Amino acid sequence: MSSFEPFNRLVRLAARAFYDDITMKGDNQPKTGRGDNRGMTVVVLDALTRRQWVREEDLAKALKLHSKQLRRTLRFFEEEKLVTREHRKETAKGVKIYNAAVAATADGQQPVKEGDEKNKMHTHSYCCLDYAQIHDVVRYRLHRMKKKLKDELDSRNTIQQYICPNCGRRYSAFDALQLVSMTDEYFHCEGCNGELIAESDKLAADEMGDGDDNARRRRREKLKDMLQKMEEQLKPLMLQLARVKDLAVPEFGGLLAWEARVHAAARVTGDSNASDFSKSSQGQGYGGTPMPFLGETRVEVALSGMDVKEEGTEPDTKSANVKVLPPWMIKKGMVLTKEQRGEVKHDMKSDQSSYAIDEKKPGVEKEDEKNLQDEYFKAYYAALAKRQEEQEATSRRLREEAEKYKASTSDLSNGIFEAPYDRQVGMKSKRADDENDDVDWEEAVPTGNTGETFKLADLNAQPEASGDDEDDIDWEEG
Amino acid sequence: MFFHITLERNMQLHPRHFGPHLRDKLVAKLMKDVEGTCSGRHGFVVAITSVEDIGKGLIREGTGFVTFPVKYQCVVFRPFKGEILEAVVTMVNKMGFFAEAGPVQIFVSNHLIPDDMEFQSEDVSNYTTSDGSVKIQKDSEVRLKIIGTRVDATEIFSIGTIKDDFLGVINDPGAAS
Ligand SMILES: [Zn+2]
Repeated sequence: MSSFEPFNRLVRLAARAFYDDITMKGDNQPKTGRGDNRGMTVVVLDALTRRQWVREEDLAKALKLHSKQLRRTLRFFEEEKLVTREHRKETAKGVKIYNAAVAATADGQQPVKEGDEKNKMHTHSYCCLDYAQIHDVVRYRLHRMKKKLKDELDSRNTIQQYICPNCGRRYSAFDALQLVSMTDEYFHCEGCNGELIAESDKLAADEMGDGDDNARRRRREKLKDMLQKMEEQLKPLMLQLARVKDLAVPEFGGLLAWEARVHAAARVTGDSNASDFSKSSQGQGYGGTPMPFLGETRVEVALSGMDVKEEGTEPDTKSANVKVLPPWMIKKGMVLTKEQRGEVKHDMKSDQSSYAIDEKKPGVEKEDEKNLQDEYFKAYYAALAKRQEEQEATSRRLREEAEKYKASTSDLSNGIFEAPYDRQVGMKSKRADDENDDVDWEEAVPTGNTGETFKLADLNAQPEASGDDEDDIDWEEG
Repeated sequence: MFFHITLERNMQLHPRHFGPHLRDKLVAKLMKDVEGTCSGRHGFVVAITSVEDIGKGLIREGTGFVTFPVKYQCVVFRPFKGEILEAVVTMVNKMGFFAEAGPVQIFVSNHLIPDDMEFQSEDVSNYTTSDGSVKIQKDSEVRLKIIGTRVDATEIFSIGTIKDDFLGVINDPGAAS
């Protein structure tokens, strides 16, 4: 969703920079004012930034354009490598599939037209923006523009001219073979054997310009001016390119793959979510399947993780604030509950290594908690050994449960329940909160920081999601 | 760029070659006459690959020489503007350096050598970067771009540049020794 925005902005900038004065004229149309449809290209590109795969007929209707005119424009953009098109023969059924996909994207601008053509095969064309290619094309275009101007400015591809200062004879680099001297490193005039000088050097040396030189100088000025103007006027575009450079490029994939994906996403997220998508993506249609964006939401997670860390520096605030759970405490939670163990496989494995950390960590803790901690450790290790045996058996079942859980809770729209991890963390945190006594805190102390920060993060966000784990009681007793 | 083309030529053969090996003589003479030459139109004839057809000879009045129209296939080489070539440096001086790509002579003037390369007139004159990592001297192999060709009736001379992406030294004879 948000990942589309920088790229859409890029498209809009590029459209205005390069395509706003392009006219899409049929060969037979006269060049009258009425036929002047400059700017239409920009409108079409803008419209495409708000859509994904779209049937060209529908797009034409939405833009109130003649479909032929639109097709000409799209063909142009296809040649410009901005747009991908797909044509397919389809019956009414195929149309329905697409319409369903469109409906799933909740793009209100798509008129859902029932195919009245029954079983007749019609060729329909679809198009969408090819962001990856647009990125490359725009960069290449800028590169070529700059290179061309710079090359001319440096007279890079020009043939060097030489002049004899004595007799004024001119030579070009093509004469080089005849001008070479065996005695020194310079070229020599064939007439007077004077040492030749390169013309540009001469230009710099004295200003005795004949008309030719003046023309060249003026041209240089013009080129410099153009280059400067280009830098200025295309600056927003270049900035946007730089901004977009390291972002993952959104891709729709082929039409079929896209339809399949949209269907799947719609099924998973349910209707309410679908509408959420549309809201967040401002009606640009389907905002992507949930999965690709998991990584993104992690950003928020990292942030809250940092918060946790900060607050963790003063662990004695434990009493009141549920949300202020230091990272290591959360870790602990993960280890404690059987259920969580089952689901978080790698945490299980890291149990062993975490012992060491456990022992170090308490040193950092307050002195008065030491005793409690020692007791706690004893109990903890004993319980852990027992638990590890149990967990082997239970883990598989739990993992399955986790899968179900994940599926049912993969609600992206509120950004809280990102993955089962977070969920579990949340449960734990709640539990810890409930007990809310010293023992609990020591519990929190150990079990190394094996988890990634994002697990820590959501702990804050969802304390209510607790209560599933009866296992904890052991621990409190310990 | 290389081309495989069919050319025609009228060969004059001395009467002393008339006999059972006339055809062989003709082909041998063709090779001797044509291979290694340059025509402004087709470029350098690198090699004759086959003789397609030898027409009827025409005896010239007065001399007894016979003229045969000969059709032959050959490989020709012609540099083009914009073409990338690999060439061996033959001479370096303050004005630039000369290089050869097969039969083609190429001159790269010093303003088409990257600005960070400076001329050094040591015992072997060369162009060297300030850090000494890249050096162009006699027998260096360079990749260059043709920016212009002058085609005479018998000669093709080219101007090249190494002031562009991916051009320049591709091996350094000094480093190997
Ligand atoms: Zn002179």
